[in-house]
Amino acid sequence: MSEATPSPAAIQAIDVVKVFDGGLVRALDGVTMTVGRGEFVAVMGPSGSGKSTLLHLVAALDVPTSGTIIVSGRDLRSAGNERFRRSEVGLVFQLHNLLPHLNTLENVEVPMFSNGMGHRQQRERARELLEAVGLSAKEKTTPPRLSGGERQRLAIARALANHPSIILADEPTGSLDSDSAERILSLFRRIRKERAVTIMLVTHDLHVAAVADRIMYMRDGRIVKDPPAAVHLTASG
Amino acid sequence: MSFAALIARNVFTRKLRSSLTGVAVAIGIMTVVALGVLTHSLRLTAISVLRTGEADFTVAQKGVSDVVYSALDDAQVDRLKSYPEVDSVIGVLIAAVKLDANHPFFLELGIPPDQLANFGVQVVAGRAYDADATDQVMLGHRAAADLHKTVGDMITIDTVDLHVVGIYSVGNVFGDSASMLPLTTLQGLERKPGSVTLAFVKVKPGTDIPALRASIEKDSPALATVRTESEFGRVDRNLSLISAANVATSILALVIGAIGVMNTTMMSVFERTREFGVLRAVGWTRARLVGLVMGEAVLISLAGAAVGLAMGYVAILLIQRVPEVAGVFQPDYPTGIFGRALGIAIGMAFIGAFYPAVRAALLKPMEALRHE
Repeated sequence: MSEATPSPAAIQAIDVVKVFDGGLVRALDGVTMTVGRGEFVAVMGPSGSGKSTLLHLVAALDVPTSGTIIVSGRDLRSAGNERFRRSEVGLVFQLHNLLPHLNTLENVEVPMFSNGMGHRQQRERARELLEAVGLSAKEKTTPPRLSGGERQRLAIARALANHPSIILADEPTGSLDSDSAERILSLFRRIRKERAVTIMLVTHDLHVAAVADRIMYMRDGRIVKDPPAAVHLTASG
Repeated sequence: MSFAALIARNVFTRKLRSSLTGVAVAIGIMTVVALGVLTHSLRLTAISVLRTGEADFTVAQKGVSDVVYSALDDAQVDRLKSYPEVDSVIGVLIAAVKLDANHPFFLELGIPPDQLANFGVQVVAGRAYDADATDQVMLGHRAAADLHKTVGDMITIDTVDLHVVGIYSVGNVFGDSASMLPLTTLQGLERKPGSVTLAFVKVKPGTDIPALRASIEKDSPALATVRTESEFGRVDRNLSLISAANVATSILALVIGAIGVMNTTMMSVFERTREFGVLRAVGWTRARLVGLVMGEAVLISLAGAAVGLAMGYVAILLIQRVPEVAGVFQPDYPTGIFGRALGIAIGMAFIGAFYPAVRAALLKPMEALRHE
C-alpha cells in the first residue's frame, strides 16, 4: 500500500487580502507566507498589523477577501470547515473562551462531540490532556475558580482534544503574569516536542516570540520580515 | 459528557431564563389541560343523559342549540312506538331551573313512574312518586346530599313546594344531581303538555339498528337519532361549539407558548453569542448547534408541560368549587389530554426555538467571538 507524500508546508498563504467595512479597512494586503510541518512560528507586529486576522483566516474562522490559504494540503475555500477546525487545528485565545458553567473535564470534552469517540473514550482523553497540562487535580473545577494561567492551560488542553496537527494561538500569554506566561510557553515547547505539532503563535511580545523557531513580522497588513527557518532566535534574543 | 447531558447542564445552569421559558409553556399547557378536561367532562356529563336507562338509542329534535331545548310531541313519540322493530319508547321531559344562587342549573326530569325501572332508576330510599301526584318529587342521591334533603323533607323548586318521597340513583353524575317528577306534573309546570325532550328507544332482539335509525330519520326529518358520544353534536350544537372553542384555544395556547419560547430563546441566543462562537470555533457543525438550542427548548418545554399538567389539575379542582358548575361537572381525565399536552409542549419548543436556533447556527464564528 502506497502512502501519499506529505506536503512539506503545514500552512500556506498566497497573496491573501482581507478587507473590512466595505474596503475601508485593509487588514491584510497581499500576504504570502509558508509555515513548515512541525515548525513553531511566531507572528509579531503592533496592534492593527493584521497578525490576528491572518491567524483567524488560517483557522477558517473567517474567509479572505481574495487569495488562497492552504492548510495541511487543504484549500480552505472548499466546504466543510467545521470538520477542519475540529480535527486539523487547535485554537488558543488570549481570553481563553472557556465555557464557565462546565468543569475543566467537560470543557476539554466539548470539541470531541461528533468525532466518533464514545463517551468513555472522550473522558479518558480529557483526563489524559488535563494531566498533560497539570490540571488533573482540578477536573471538577469550573473556569471561574481557576487562575489565569490555569485557564490558559485548560484552553491548551481543549485545543489538543482532537489530535490536531496545528496549534494556532492568539496572544496566549497576553493576560498572564510573567510566571504563568513562562509556564504556558514551556507547555507549548513540550507539546511541540512530544506531539510533533505545528505551532503558529501570534504575539506582540518579543520575549514570547523568542521561543519560536522563526519569527514573522507584520506591519500594515503585510509581512515585512520573514527570516528563514535556519535562523533560530533564543529567548535571550 | 454526552450531548444530552450538556443540554441538561445548560438548562439547569441558566435557571432564571429556563424558568421564564418553562412558565410560558406551563401556562399554555395548563390552559389546554383545564379546558380539555372541562370540555371532555361536560361532554360526558351531557351525553350521560342520553345514555341513561337501557335504551338502544335516543331520539331528539335535530339541530337545537342545547339538548334540553329539544321538543318531541305525543304524535312523534307515538310514531316511534309504531315501528314494528321497537320494543318500548320512554318519553322524558327535561327542564332546567335556578334553585338558588349555589344551584343555578338544576335539572328536573319528568318520567312516568311505571317507566322508572326501564329507565334504569333505582330508588335507594323512600319510594317512587305517584303517577298523578302534583306535589311529590324524588331527588338524585347527589342532589339530596348537596341540598341536605332526605325523604320526608320539603323542597321548593321554581316556586313550587314539593315533598321529597324518595332518593334515587341512575349511576351518572348528570342524573344523580337532578330531580324526578311525574311526567304530566312537569309538563304542567313547564306549560308543555304532551311534549317531551327526548325519547329513549329500546328495540326488539335481532333488529338492524342502523337501518331502523335511518328509517326514523327519513320518516321524520325533524328528528335525529343518537347512539354514540360522537353523534351528540347532531342534537346539541352548544357542545360542538365548545369543542371547537377547545381546539381553537389549544391552537392559541400553542402560538402564545411558542412566542414565549421564541422570546426567551432569542434573548438567550443573543446573550450566548460568544459561547456559540466558541463552539463553532472548536468545530461544532451548524446542525449540532441547532440541535443544542432545540434540545434545550424541548427539555424546558417538557418540564413546563409537567408543571402545566399539575397547574391544570389544580385549576380543575378550583373550577369544581364554582357554584355554577357544581352538580353538572364531574372531572374526567382522558389519556388523550396528556398526549395532546405533550404534543403541544414539543410543538411550542420546535416552533418557538427554530428561528433562534437557526440564527445561532448562522452566526459567523469570528463575529460571534468578538461579541461582548
